[in-house]
Amino acid sequence: MSQAQSHSSIKGAGLGLKRELLPQIQAAHGTDLTQHLDFVEIAPENWIGAGGKYARQLAWFTERYPIVCHGLCLSLGGPDPLNEAFLRQVKQFLDQHQIPLYTEHLSYCTDGGYLYDLLPIPFTEEAVHHVAARIRRTQDILERRIAVENASFYVAAPIAEMDEASFINAVLQEADCDLHLDINNIYVNSVNFGFDPHAFLREMPGERIVYAHIAGHDREAEDLIIDTHGQDVIDPVWQLLREAYALFGVFPTLLERDTNIPPLADAMQEVNHIASLQAAQRNHAQQGLVDALDTKRVSA
Amino acid sequence: MSTLESKALPLFQQYQQTFTAHIRQPRQHARPAGVPAKRMQVYNEIVFNNLFSAVSACYPVLQRVMGKRAWQTLVRRFFAEHQATSPFFRDIPKAFLEFLPLVETLPPFALSLAHYEWIELAIAADDSIAPALTAEGDLLQGVPILAPALAVLAYDYPVQKISARFKPREPLPEPVHLLVFRNQQDEVKFVEMNVMTARLLQLLQPGQMTGLAALQQLGLEIGHAEAAALVSFGGALLEDLRQQQIVWGIAA
Repeated sequence: MSQAQSHSSIKGAGLGLKRELLPQIQAAHGTDLTQHLDFVEIAPENWIGAGGKYARQLAWFTERYPIVCHGLCLSLGGPDPLNEAFLRQVKQFLDQHQIPLYTEHLSYCTDGGYLYDLLPIPFTEEAVHHVAARIRRTQDILERRIAVENASFYVAAPIAEMDEASFINAVLQEADCDLHLDINNIYVNSVNFGFDPHAFLREMPGERIVYAHIAGHDREAEDLIIDTHGQDVIDPVWQLLREAYALFGVFPTLLERDTNIPPLADAMQEVNHIASLQAAQRNHAQQGLVDALDTKRVSA
Repeated sequence: MSTLESKALPLFQQYQQTFTAHIRQPRQHARPAGVPAKRMQVYNEIVFNNLFSAVSACYPVLQRVMGKRAWQTLVRRFFAEHQATSPFFRDIPKAFLEFLPLVETLPPFALSLAHYEWIELAIAADDSIAPALTAEGDLLQGVPILAPALAVLAYDYPVQKISARFKPREPLPEPVHLLVFRNQQDEVKFVEMNVMTARLLQLLQPGQMTGLAALQQLGLEIGHAEAAALVSFGGALLEDLRQQQIVWGIAA
C-alpha cells in the first residue's frame, strides 16, 4: 500500500500542547476562542509513564480532543539499535489513548547515548537504506503506518550524495511510510542552504502527506535561521502552506510554538489562520468543480 | 572506538560519530572535515543548552549553592561523559543524579541535596496507583494503605535548610528523616518526622501488615517496655497520618 492513510479523527487545525498553555486551553474550552482548535499534539517522551497531575491533564485532553503523537527521541537515523522496548511503550500508549497518528523526525538524536536534540542525517545511499529499514521495523512493532517529518538543520554534510528532497523521496519510498510535511522547515532550510522552497515543495510526494506543521523561527543572519518555534509565523511560510494546499489538497495542520510562548489568544490567531486557509482552499476547489461543470454545460 | 572498528562503519556513520563527538567535547574532538565552524557552533550550543536547561530546572538549590561557573562546568562534564539510556526527558535529572558520585570535587552535602531536589520531581510524576481501599476503617486491625507516590528518606545533611547562605560542612549527628508524598490533590508534600514514625512508615509501605502488627514489630525493634502505651500512642499517630493524607485508608 503506497497511498497515505487518512487518520479520520485528525482534521482541521491543531496546536502543540505545551505545559504553559494547558490551563489556558482548559479554561477556554467551549468558548469562541478555541472554536477552531480541532486537535492537539503531544510528545510521547513527555507523557508516557507520567502519573499524578500529568495523567489527569492528559485524561482531560484525551476526553475532549483528538490527539497526535509527535515523537522526538526515536532516532530513526541513529547509529544505535532501534529502541524497541521504547517502541512497545509507544504502542501501548497509542492504543490506550486511542491516538491515531504517530510521527517522527527524519533525523537522529543518539550516539550510543541520548543527546535529546535533532541532528542532521548525511544524505547518502547507505543512510537511505539504514533509515528506511528502521522505519519499516517501527511500523511492524506499532502495527500501523507512521509519518516522518522533514527536519530543519544548520549543517550540510560534505559527504552527501544527494539533495534533501531526493533523500526524503528515497526514504519514504523504500520504507513505504507517510510524510509529515513541515512547511517551516522547508523555508528554514531554503535560507540556511540557499535553495528555492517552492521548487522543493513541488518535489514532495504529495500522495504521502497526512499531516503538516507550521511555525515561526529566529532569523540569526541573512543566511541563517534557527528553528526555535519561538516567533510568529512569517508571511513567506504562510504562502508556502497556501501553495502546499493548492498543490496537494488540504491536510490537517498544526501550529508549533515551543519557546517564548505567547498567551493562548495570540497562538489561536495563528491556528485560526490555518483554518481559514484550509476553508479558502476547499472553497476554491469547490468553485473549480462548479466552474468545470458549468463549462461542460455550456459546451454541451 | 578503535580505528579498525571505525573503518568497518559506513561512511555516513563515521561522519555522525565525528559530528557527535565534537558536539560533546568540542575542544578534544575536531568537527568533521569541510563543515563550517560557524554552523557547527550552532549545534554545539543548542544541544548543550537544551540539556543544561533540563538539568538545571530540577536542581535550583544545588546550582545556586555551587555558583554559576562550577555548575556550568559540572553539567558540561555530564554532557561530555554520560551516555543517557532513556528516551524520556524527565529521566535526564535522574541520569545526572546517577552521574554525581563520579565527581570528586563536590561539596560533601551535594549528593544528599541533589537527591532531595530530584525526589520532588520523581514523586510528582510517579505513576503508581493505590490498591483498592476503604478510606474509613480501623487502622490498627486493618492493613493501612499509604499514598502510592511516597518515599521515606534519611539524609546525613539538613537538606531542607541548605541554601547559598547555609552550606553545612559536617554531617548531622543523627540523620534527618523526611517523608515525601503526593496527596489526593496530586500536590507533593514534604514532612520532617522522627525516626520511629519513619520506621513505622517503612513497615507499612509494602501494604502487607496491619497497623497493630507494624506497631508491635516497632516495639520489638526499639525494645519498648510498655507495649500497650505504644499501641495507644501508635493508634493516634496513624489517625494523624490519615488526616495528612499520608495514609489513605485500609486495604479493601
